[in-house]
Amino acid sequence: MDNQTISPRQFMFLVILFTIGSSILIIPTPLALEARQDAWLSVIVAILVGLLLSLFYSKVGKEAEGKTFVQAAQYAFGPWIGRVLNLFYLMFLYILSALVLRNIGDFMTTQIIPETPLQFTHILFLLVIIAGAYLGIEAMGRSAEIFIPWMVLLLIFMVISVAPQINMEHLKPHFENGIWPPIKASGIVIGTPYLEMITLLMIYPYVKEGIKKTHGWMLGSVIGGLALLLITLISLLVLGADLTGLNAYPTYKVGEKINIAGFLEGLEIIIAIIWMITIFFKLIILVYSTTVGVAQFLNMDDHRPLLLPLGMGTVVLSIIAYPDVAYFETFVGETWSAYALTHGLLLPLVLLVGLLVRKKFSKRKQT
Amino acid sequence: MTSSWVRISLIIICLSLLSGCWNSNELDELGIAVSVAIDKNDEGDYLVAVQVINPSEIATDAPTNRPPVSTYSTTGETLLDAFRRLSAKSPRQIYFSQMRLVIIGSKLAEEGVMPSLDFLYRDHEFRTSFYVAVAKNAPAEVMLSIVTPYEKIPANKIMNSIDNVQKNWGVSKGVSIDKLIADVRDKGKSPVLPGIDLLGDPEVGNNMSNVENVDAPTKLEVDHLAAFKEDRLVGWLSEMESQGLNYATGDVRSTIVTHPCDDEGTISVEILRTQSSMKSKMDGSTPEVTIMVEAEGNVAEVDCKIDLGSPESIQEVNKEVEKQIEKTIQSSVTAAQEELESDFLGLGSAVHRDNPTYWKSVEDEWDQQFTELDVSIEVKAKIRRKGNSTQPINKEG
Repeated sequence: MDNQTISPRQFMFLVILFTIGSSILIIPTPLALEARQDAWLSVIVAILVGLLLSLFYSKVGKEAEGKTFVQAAQYAFGPWIGRVLNLFYLMFLYILSALVLRNIGDFMTTQIIPETPLQFTHILFLLVIIAGAYLGIEAMGRSAEIFIPWMVLLLIFMVISVAPQINMEHLKPHFENGIWPPIKASGIVIGTPYLEMITLLMIYPYVKEGIKKTHGWMLGSVIGGLALLLITLISLLVLGADLTGLNAYPTYKVGEKINIAGFLEGLEIIIAIIWMITIFFKLIILVYSTTVGVAQFLNMDDHRPLLLPLGMGTVVLSIIAYPDVAYFETFVGETWSAYALTHGLLLPLVLLVGLLVRKKFSKRKQT
Repeated sequence: MTSSWVRISLIIICLSLLSGCWNSNELDELGIAVSVAIDKNDEGDYLVAVQVINPSEIATDAPTNRPPVSTYSTTGETLLDAFRRLSAKSPRQIYFSQMRLVIIGSKLAEEGVMPSLDFLYRDHEFRTSFYVAVAKNAPAEVMLSIVTPYEKIPANKIMNSIDNVQKNWGVSKGVSIDKLIADVRDKGKSPVLPGIDLLGDPEVGNNMSNVENVDAPTKLEVDHLAAFKEDRLVGWLSEMESQGLNYATGDVRSTIVTHPCDDEGTISVEILRTQSSMKSKMDGSTPEVTIMVEAEGNVAEVDCKIDLGSPESIQEVNKEVEKQIEKTIQSSVTAAQEELESDFLGLGSAVHRDNPTYWKSVEDEWDQQFTELDVSIEVKAKIRRKGNSTQPINKEG
């Protein structure tokens, strides 16, 4: 909003963190339930689809010519129809941010602080997010640069320290039920996080110009996907497909199994730190995009006054979004893919068509 | 001016938010549980005993005559119910994250352990790194009330003993709870658990005077493995059968193989590392499972007049060791297929891994199918060194 820019490199880091955030928490379990020991294949398929999606989103971003999704829609379809589209888009973002917040809250209350009421975890977490979003996209980009090495280090540390417990036999037999179940299960990963990347169209215009923008997006989604692949593989190799599917947070269980020379134990909190960092960034991108989107929707000059009120709404929405975890599991398994598909694929497709038609129209006018 | 006021008030707000933790538990308000015993009584209620460490006795330079641990026991309709009822007896809230060991009573083990595992795996306070064992010759809760010499915390003693037996002898092994659950749920594998024996009079072992003797009259000992079928205890393996199982699953790290040599006397080989694999191959319409074991070791103790200088005699010893290990594994296979009819070797998992199509057709009746399974054993022994002496010392040079 305020002429801040980030470099393509920072954008790539944000894409990586956005891809890993919250998916790292919620995808191994449903993947292992559906695709059993072939779950790793689902992630690979999803990475390929994610690559195509990021290419497609960059194309939309490029056609928007420096406009955010909200501005572009209002430009291409006029203020009224454009606003209807934006209403859907912003609602998707808003619900998504509430769900992501609830993910981390559920995790904290299940594994670490069960007696603390959910809303306090949410409020504290969101306060930091709001402070970050208040500082704007530049601060977000720079902090991503600071945190990425830590996340990579922790991830590497975790993989190395559980390496002795890896059992390659857990991956056998390959393709027990044919190739179809793992491909079908890849829908889970495509829905979370790849289709959610449409959010990034809100910050895409703030990335400095250059072809590197597209590369950054593609590379970021692949690197993030590889991290998800690593996490899924580690869960499968250490716990086996059966226990991965049985556990709500399998990677956390993997962390519990870290045992270095009998005295370095109980390092599962490392996993929690990785989750906190990545989810922090996913949520800050979501909150920032939603707020900027709403500000542009309302023709406001500054998004900052909206942060607090929208944040309050997010906390409430995250509490009432679903009554219990079983509801959420069904929601992610059955409803989310369709919801993400309409908003992550259909919506930008409509926008792209609108932008192209508009472009042709105005060109003809000029000549 | 206003901005500094805003800052100060922000700091105060932050301070009030960050001052405490909702879930704070002070260390001096927690009873740290190291071991839990679970059994069922005759009414079908859960019987639970918890061993809690006595921090002032563990971390002190001037120990008193109070025991280093205390046990509390109670009964309850479910496990959680029983655990919460403990609060009436224990002065502190019991904290389970440091738990090392769960001892299951033989009555519960025969009835099926799965119902009690759910809670231990679901609750967030339990880590997955603790071992599960079966109390063999005494009630599980009695095992917890034995004061052990040398190692102050009995649970640590048992856990260390299990690790030691696994590392140096290979006739038992530690089984963590997630391994146990995975094995129970796996149709092609049945779990095993280490057993624990009580030697001596439990009344004596309950008293601190037990450890005032150089040779404590009451002790806890790690026994061989208990074989399960699904989640029910079906029988105990002998020393040889337990070792055979560990060879087959690759859990033997170091052990001793002794065999007669020449006409009289024996020769012992110290196995230093083993590697094993289990492969299944379709032989017509039925699968055949091959257990392959590679063992590497040194000559360790010789009590005969063998000529250790010649490569031929080392080859001879190699062959004998191979034969011995094969016999050990065979005894385990026989126990699995004929005596206990429980696939604790994981032969079904091998079939599942290598012949998934065939596995689908027999998965549900594997219990009956596997007793007919052809199992072949291939052992390769490699003796590398013979210690400090080049020849047996009773051999005339």
